[in-house]
Amino acid sequence: MSEDAVRSAVTDDVPQSGPESPAPGPDSALLEAAGISKSFGAVQALADGSLELRRAEVHALVGENGAGKSTLIKVLSGVTRADGGEVRVDGRPVRLDSPSAARRLGLGTVFQELSLLPWMTVAENLLIDQLPRGRAGLVRRRSLPSEAEKVLAHFGIETIDPREIPERLSLAERQVVEIVRALHRRPRILFLDEATASLPKHQVDWLFETIDRERSAGCCVVFTSHRWKEVEQIADRITVFRNGRKVATRPSLNESEAVTLMTGRRVGEIYPPRPRAQPDAPALLEVEDLHADGVDGVSFSLRRGEVLGIGGLAGQGQRELFLSLYGVRRPGGGKITVGGREQRIRRPADAIRAHIGIALVPEDRKGEGLLLPLPIRDNLTLPILRRLSTGGLVRRADERKLVEGLMDQLQIGGGRRPTEAVETLSGGNQQKVLVGRWLLAESEILLFYDVTRGVDVATKHDLYELIASLAAEGRGILLYSSDTDEIAHLCERVLVMREGRVARQLTGAEVDTEKIVAASVMEEVAANG
Amino acid sequence: MSAEVQAPAPQRSWLARRSATQRTLAYSFVVVALLLAVGVILKPGILSGSSLRIIAELASFVGFVGVGQTLVFLLGGIDFSVVWVLNAAAILVVAQAAGHNSNLPVALVLTLGVGVVVGLANGIGVAYFSISPIVMTVGTNGIIQGLALGLSKGLTCSSCGAHPAPALTSALQGRIGGVPGVVLVWVGVILLISLLLSASTLGRRIYATGVNPAASYLAGVGVKPVTVSVYVISGLFAAIAGIMLVTFGGGASLGLGDPYLLESIAAAVIGGVSVLGGRGHYLGTVAGCLALIILVTILNAEQIPQYAREIVYGGVIIFIVLLYGREKRVT
Amino acid sequence: MASRAVDRRGWWNYFAAQQATLLLAVIILIVTVLAYLGFYAAQFHHLPNSFAWDSTITNALPLVFVGVGQGIVVLTRGLDLSVSGTMDLTNGLAATHMHASLASMLGWTLIVLGVGAAIGLVNGLLVTVGRLQPIVVTIGTMSILQGAAAAILPEPGGSIPQAYTNVLGNTGSPVGLVFVALIIIAWLVLRRRPLGFALYAIGNDPQAAAANGLNVARARIAAYVLSGILAAAAGLFLAAGSSGGDATGGDSYLLASFAAVVLGGVSFRGGRGSMVGVVCGAGVLTVLVNVLFYAKVNSFYESFYQGLFLVGAVLLGLGVTAFTSRGRRGGAR
Repeated sequence: MSEDAVRSAVTDDVPQSGPESPAPGPDSALLEAAGISKSFGAVQALADGSLELRRAEVHALVGENGAGKSTLIKVLSGVTRADGGEVRVDGRPVRLDSPSAARRLGLGTVFQELSLLPWMTVAENLLIDQLPRGRAGLVRRRSLPSEAEKVLAHFGIETIDPREIPERLSLAERQVVEIVRALHRRPRILFLDEATASLPKHQVDWLFETIDRERSAGCCVVFTSHRWKEVEQIADRITVFRNGRKVATRPSLNESEAVTLMTGRRVGEIYPPRPRAQPDAPALLEVEDLHADGVDGVSFSLRRGEVLGIGGLAGQGQRELFLSLYGVRRPGGGKITVGGREQRIRRPADAIRAHIGIALVPEDRKGEGLLLPLPIRDNLTLPILRRLSTGGLVRRADERKLVEGLMDQLQIGGGRRPTEAVETLSGGNQQKVLVGRWLLAESEILLFYDVTRGVDVATKHDLYELIASLAAEGRGILLYSSDTDEIAHLCERVLVMREGRVARQLTGAEVDTEKIVAASVMEEVAANG
Repeated sequence: MSAEVQAPAPQRSWLARRSATQRTLAYSFVVVALLLAVGVILKPGILSGSSLRIIAELASFVGFVGVGQTLVFLLGGIDFSVVWVLNAAAILVVAQAAGHNSNLPVALVLTLGVGVVVGLANGIGVAYFSISPIVMTVGTNGIIQGLALGLSKGLTCSSCGAHPAPALTSALQGRIGGVPGVVLVWVGVILLISLLLSASTLGRRIYATGVNPAASYLAGVGVKPVTVSVYVISGLFAAIAGIMLVTFGGGASLGLGDPYLLESIAAAVIGGVSVLGGRGHYLGTVAGCLALIILVTILNAEQIPQYAREIVYGGVIIFIVLLYGREKRVT
Repeated sequence: MASRAVDRRGWWNYFAAQQATLLLAVIILIVTVLAYLGFYAAQFHHLPNSFAWDSTITNALPLVFVGVGQGIVVLTRGLDLSVSGTMDLTNGLAATHMHASLASMLGWTLIVLGVGAAIGLVNGLLVTVGRLQPIVVTIGTMSILQGAAAAILPEPGGSIPQAYTNVLGNTGSPVGLVFVALIIIAWLVLRRRPLGFALYAIGNDPQAAAANGLNVARARIAAYVLSGILAAAAGLFLAAGSSGGDATGGDSYLLASFAAVVLGGVSFRGGRGSMVGVVCGAGVLTVLVNVLFYAKVNSFYESFYQGLFLVGAVLLGLGVTAFTSRGRRGGAR
């Protein structure tokens, strides 16, 4: 069934604005948030978060990663306590000091990080706060699955078994359960934080139908997404966030206006000139027919001085590709040649030491990258301790010289000593520590996996320049980003991945955002149709 | 432009620039100083040579076991098997030497070997089979307990009642410059472990693994070998503690090691070592050992009965961790 | 929209996924009991009589109760080291204060259980409001409780009224089974109360539980209170079984309670397992002593086999869990 058919079917079924839904007007503000602020350590995530929500609207919250959208949603869900600011619901000031307080006010949320209980059944997850009770107030455990089945069916989901545990569901299925759980609580305002990120196309359609229906019933749906098309498709109003502040609320925006508002710059201005490799530059990394869990026969070669983009929709095997090149996932087959020598990479330590060195800069800076409470120095030299030690003892003087040199070169720390904890640095500086680590390791092949996530524009700019200069120094860079624009502006060659394979290679003039998106999306449409 | 406000570094106080480890280390030594001050007020004799000597010696026994507990804590684990490794070591070193110096080298090697083997088993179970440290070490504790009791027939074997080899006793209980050999060994151990934690590559890897194993693995740290080596060190030092204790008491006895599980944990905790991993230092545990023994000395001097000592003991542990061992508030 | 039929599998599959470790606990119990029967029959040429059964069950009672309490705390990712101290204290209280009148026996039973609840409340408050690590808190309270027990009963002694022993520690009638049935029923009821769901949810993921609007602090405190009450009850069973008090009598039950939890298939990472399994685990540990006795294993080697059994059971449990929790889609994360 085509996308249009689905949508028309929905509009036929459901009246867009029935008589029962109150007319939206300036007086009918359901929720007003003003001047919300929140800091995490040295990082101010939200400086002046404001938002005004009305009944029966779909309100898109847009902004770059790190602009403060998620923090605002967490504050409004009672998960995070704000440092300052005021929230009014129905005109009355409210205190949102716990998730249940938010719930009582009719605020429901689907969080970006999944909050399902992994070893309790889907039914238990769905009904945890309204368990069916029988005699003596005891929960009727036996009727949980059928109750849950009814709930799922009510929202049009018939493909998920309520007796299953989330551990054994796919990411998309878990996301659907999460959404149904929030909907089942009948919220007056529903926050969806990047709810479509892990959903395939047909489930995004399902979600939008559902949102439509909720809107008609008078519910306000707040929606964040990094896919602009989705925002355009469904939002009644759009609020733009930048650097922890609300910039504007508009009934509609076109994409370039939005980008200007979101970044404060024009598109393209923040990118350095595209780095180019010498045409006859030798290959640093050659991958032949690589197989791994989620990677299905990928081949490519990365030349010295080249920034090679890995594109495609999220979850098409990019992460698995990066992890298997770095030895986190064992490849199921294929050949990896590093600087002309075939290498077996079974663990990250192998990759780091593989001939000319492979390094991974992960997306999740806090979970997979840095050791936050430890000194900047320890974070920088962890991979090269072997080189920096004699008889198992670290040569402190040598280490100090290296670390101080690097901190100067990358301008890390603003006067901090190498012995101070990494967590005292700002997000951008933390990111530099993560990249700087591999400069010390003299890794020639750098795998950048979505490193600009949650980074402010100024630091993004610094990172782009760093990537360009690393390439200019002759390193080879493999770059994946959830922001296709970045790939388009930094890479001279892009491999678009789909279902674990390289679906298309774009080079030279073909490398632009539209074409990359087209290559990843159009084939998806073709495959579905 | 940047929303991420960078706190201006130069204005931060000296204390604020210290790491959490350094701060709690400072607090734990303040606790020792305060307890010592209380001791001097209640019993001026506490600063006499003989009193200090006995405090240091008693603290050293906790300190040897505390080496392992500290390192295991730094990884976010725990080692319950120290009790019977200690007991088994005490029995083995006495029974194997049977009071003769000529048997001592073999006895020592065997005894330390037992500690290493148990530690190895613990480490492999925890690192390679992902068995919870509590379960694994409770299990090996039982195994080693059964073996020790069974092979020594409940400490009734012919050589079990022997005195420790004279050379061992004279080396560890003899004094050099008024300081017992056991205490000198402890000073050496303190230097060694401090060097390990502060200056060695293994120390760096231990802290990194304790803070975040996933991130450490991605930075090339062999998380599993590091875990195994830490449990091996723990087993080794529990065995060393057993050897030290037999020379102090003049022989092996059942229940010799029983108090040391609780005390080693208490010492590490008072020293600011976090049971969640990644924070703390052996020097803190050393302060914790001294604090505990000074506390006991004061309670003894005040002729407070045994039961009240246990109550004060528990109360002090909770009081101290309430002062500086609380977790950060979530959100 | 492409509709994919639900991959429906038999109830067995779901049961296995969630309850594999419980099943394993039951199997281990059956095997242990069979081994016991075998060795017993080989020696006496007949099966154990009802006295042997009743005394085995009565012997198991303290461990059953303290194990279930420990299991509930472990379910919430906690740990209660103070259970041994609680047993010491309650055992001492009963032995020194209880007289052979119904009022005294009933009154002191309630007082002792109340003391257990109060201990649990202190532990729970220190862990939640005090934001301290469970292991540190309960080591502190364990020391305090052991001291208090020694103050009440400096030397083994005191006495338990015969009537009380007849009810709680009777080896001549299957009254022990009634208590086992009671605790299993109590657990099944708790499991069907919102608190029961909250205990599991916390163990699954405390932050997700809070985001779902559950009162995490209250449920964690409740877990420690239950553990305190059950440890107090275990102390009473211990006193009744030995018809006298010993202020160190509970000490050996600390590690044993962990063992019962592990053998019962409750995950030390929290959120998985059943207290029915813990009852089985306590049964296994008790019957194992009989097996070793009738297998003529020197009693000195008892803990060796128990430890071996423990590690073996954990490895088996891990293997079974890894096998049954493999997803249809495999490697979703």
